[in-house]
Amino acid sequence: MSSLILQGPRRGIRDRLARLHWPLIILLTMIAGAGVVTLYSVAEGSWRPWAMQHGLRYMAALMVLIIAGMIPIRYWMALAYPMYFAALAALAAVPFIGEINMGARRWIEFGGMQFQPSEAMKIGLVMALARYYHGLRAEQVSHILYLIPPALMIAAPVGLVFIQPDLGTSLLLVAAGVITVFVAGLSWRIGLIGLVGALAAAYGAYRFELLKPYQVERILTFLNPDRDPLGQGYHLLQSKIALGSGGLDGKGYMLGSQSQLQFLPEMQTDFIFTIFGEEFGFVGAIGLLLLYLAVVLIGLSVAMTSKLHFARLVVIGVTATFALYVLINTGMVMGLAPVVGVPLPLVSYGGTVMLTIMAGFGIVMSAHIYRDQDAYRSSDWL
Amino acid sequence: MVRINTHDPERQEVVSRRTLLLGGGVSALFAVIAGRLYQLQVADHQKYLDLAEANQFKRRVLTPLRGEIVDRFGNVLASNRKNFRLLLVPEQARDIDAALDEISKIVPVSDQRRARIKRQIRRGGAFTPVEVRDNLSWSEFSKINFQLPHLAGVLPDVGETRDYPLEAASAFVIGYVGAVTERDLANEDSDRERLLLRQPGFKVGRDGLERTYDQELRGAAGEMMVRINAHGRVKEEMSDTARAPAQGKTLALTIDAELQQHAMTVLKGESASAVVMDVVTGDILVLASTPGFNPNDFNVGIDPQLWKDLNESPYKPLLNKPLSGVYAPGSTLKMVSAIAALEAGVSPRQTTFCNGRTWYGNRFFHCWKRGGHGAVDMKRAIKDSCNVYFYEIAKTIDIDLIADVARRFGLGETYELGISGQQRGVVPDRDWKRAHFAGSPENQPWFQGETLSCIVGQGYVTSTPLQLAVMASRLATGKAVRPRLVRAVGDLVLPAPDAPPINVNPDHLDVVREGMDAVVNEWGTAARSRLEDPEWRLAGKTGTSQVYQITAEDRANGLAEPEDLPWSRRDHALFVCFMPYENPRYACSVIVEHGIGGSRAAGPRARDIMRAVAAKNPAALPPIDPRSLAARGGAVRSG
Repeated sequence: MSSLILQGPRRGIRDRLARLHWPLIILLTMIAGAGVVTLYSVAEGSWRPWAMQHGLRYMAALMVLIIAGMIPIRYWMALAYPMYFAALAALAAVPFIGEINMGARRWIEFGGMQFQPSEAMKIGLVMALARYYHGLRAEQVSHILYLIPPALMIAAPVGLVFIQPDLGTSLLLVAAGVITVFVAGLSWRIGLIGLVGALAAAYGAYRFELLKPYQVERILTFLNPDRDPLGQGYHLLQSKIALGSGGLDGKGYMLGSQSQLQFLPEMQTDFIFTIFGEEFGFVGAIGLLLLYLAVVLIGLSVAMTSKLHFARLVVIGVTATFALYVLINTGMVMGLAPVVGVPLPLVSYGGTVMLTIMAGFGIVMSAHIYRDQDAYRSSDWL
Repeated sequence: MVRINTHDPERQEVVSRRTLLLGGGVSALFAVIAGRLYQLQVADHQKYLDLAEANQFKRRVLTPLRGEIVDRFGNVLASNRKNFRLLLVPEQARDIDAALDEISKIVPVSDQRRARIKRQIRRGGAFTPVEVRDNLSWSEFSKINFQLPHLAGVLPDVGETRDYPLEAASAFVIGYVGAVTERDLANEDSDRERLLLRQPGFKVGRDGLERTYDQELRGAAGEMMVRINAHGRVKEEMSDTARAPAQGKTLALTIDAELQQHAMTVLKGESASAVVMDVVTGDILVLASTPGFNPNDFNVGIDPQLWKDLNESPYKPLLNKPLSGVYAPGSTLKMVSAIAALEAGVSPRQTTFCNGRTWYGNRFFHCWKRGGHGAVDMKRAIKDSCNVYFYEIAKTIDIDLIADVARRFGLGETYELGISGQQRGVVPDRDWKRAHFAGSPENQPWFQGETLSCIVGQGYVTSTPLQLAVMASRLATGKAVRPRLVRAVGDLVLPAPDAPPINVNPDHLDVVREGMDAVVNEWGTAARSRLEDPEWRLAGKTGTSQVYQITAEDRANGLAEPEDLPWSRRDHALFVCFMPYENPRYACSVIVEHGIGGSRAAGPRARDIMRAVAAKNPAALPPIDPRSLAARGGAVRSG
């Protein structure tokens, strides 16, 4: 981008490798390792069908992270809007060319690979918002006129994901977007008004039946798990029994009878934290949570040490998304959040989410390597 | 153009402040999660432990009862009986070898079975029960139950297993069931069905009707929530949540169990087969094959020594002879040959002088009667089974015409009975020879000399006992009768197959029928097969199918009589017949392997079978209404 004028040193490959945030990589690898260990147990002591595949996918995703991290942050900034609009176009195309899976249309075929545009949008939205606020002065942030573009930027993909229908991902997108806007400096007063408006919208959605019956069901079950012990709430109750019976130090690896007796659905994805907690107990589960918290705090520290405004915001967005995954998933299996089908990052089985998260941390890595770099921009067209 | 240094300290300050705030918020939420975790895993641990120990729900598959198979009058051919068995839950037993050693002290567990159990455990995982022993006697089962407190992980269970009360008599009609294999699982596309197939001890049809109608007989699985404790023991069955399994459909066959058993008794001791058909409906009343095997030995996992014996016996007990045994029809083909001759313009009055042999090509063709029959016309040629009469016709007749008539009477064809492995046999003609020998040195045009062999049912011609019974039915009625074995599936009564008139001149049929009548009733070759009751006048035809040609050398060694030959070289004995002659209702074919002669080995046995058929006259009795059967099944049984 010719209008961006660099400030800061150029770096060679060797230099960039040396400046990788190794503690972050080690933490992510430990978390993925916990995933492999747990998936091995879920398959009753077998590398198939999940554990081996999970490990291999992590290796590939780690390469993606390192490569993405070595790309200078200003390139990512230049790519922000194109990536957002490409993801938006793909999302818009899904209803026409998407694959139907489990009653929802989320996937499209791309060069022989299945690809979920809503995943790409999780990064695309954060990048676009960061790029937008990069161009605003502090006093413009809370100006009502300057709030319209980010509102549209969030609303467009959220609407498309919502009609797929994928309630979990649309909520994640809203939350990640709102957090990015909040960190960018939105005034508390507007934030409060927005919150009230969102609650009103949620009520309206329920009232006018915009939600699928199963979505309403899940939320109502969350609010009162005992209302249907053999249906929706049954899984939650089983999850709590499995976790609770694990106790302080757990039942031991591969000995989680509650989970292994197959009281739980989707053990390899949504309910994997339950198995981990049953087998490794409170000590193990807290250990895993601390690993996640450490990753989040490293992310936030990278944001605070970056000179480039875009970098700061994009890193916040990616880190916040990651934190939301962890909080919603663990909250969900313990009855603190509705069962919305959000995986536990890097532990749950599933390639697309893993790739999204690792690509996101690739940008965090880039921000870290180029934390001293800043840029001017030549026009404030917005 | 305004140049803005994006390094805006005010903006950075806001971001830093808000980031710290965000970090604090996220940390607080993590603390909430940790607190909840503490509450569940530490504070309320005992509560959830109790719930886990004593208060668990599990969905349990309820195995449906396999549908019954009954004969035409509702007599049971295949049903289910209680099966006392022993399951082992690997996760509770921990040390599998020790557990099996303990069990062996009460009921023996063979090394082979032990290996299979371990294989199943490796495949099924620690929580899937495996079957250690089944078909235990009541005393063994009660001993196990008495010792149960000392046997960790052992689960006594009452299942169901297939029972074939007729044993060998029904083996080839019904087939048998066997344990589910990996292939069966792979062929099943719904998870539900796979889950059902994985139930310990579940069986699927392996052969015969059990296999062909497996889906219909299997039924639909039910399910029930059960409360189990941490050891997998059922504490309570939540019967209000149960969906009952649906028993499989009942198959009602055309077989008459009583006559079937009688036929087996008549054929006992021989390697033989018998088929009895209702010529009006095509219903197969008897489909007997001896020696048989006991299908009950198969569904419990056959003993290897027994399996070896069955496979190696020269009597071929595993061969379904009525459908899969192929034999030269011998003289039983002569009715077909006679009709072909009539269609070729031979007059039934025309006589041939039989002096015991005729010369053709470069050799003599012999009649069975040394010295010959003298002057024979067509009726007498059938009655006395004169070969020379037919040799003379064969010298000029076209083989393709004989083949055409043979096909019209049902030879060279298989029939939809639901039993696989049916043989087609051979109806030779010019095209067949060309196709059969294509590319080999025998690939030569048809020789008229070959027609001489074929016209008396030797040479290339082969057929199955079922085909011969169909042929007899068609000779009796002049209609293209088709056999059937299954009368009803569940409530659905299947219509009898169409039997349009066959394209044969009725006068020609009368000539050969008179011949068949004479065979039995005018001192022909099967005079001793005559039935005493004049209302059941039997008409038939003997046949002898050459297995080994006695050579000049044999004769020189004093081997003149067929009895001098070893069993395996003796000729097969055949007989086809129908009754009553005036208004035919039943047809029958009997083949006794190495029985030497149709008139002495096959004819009398056919007579004994037909005498019983005549005495009972099953076609006059109302068959069972399948709807009355549906009411008696359908019991709920859990797996």
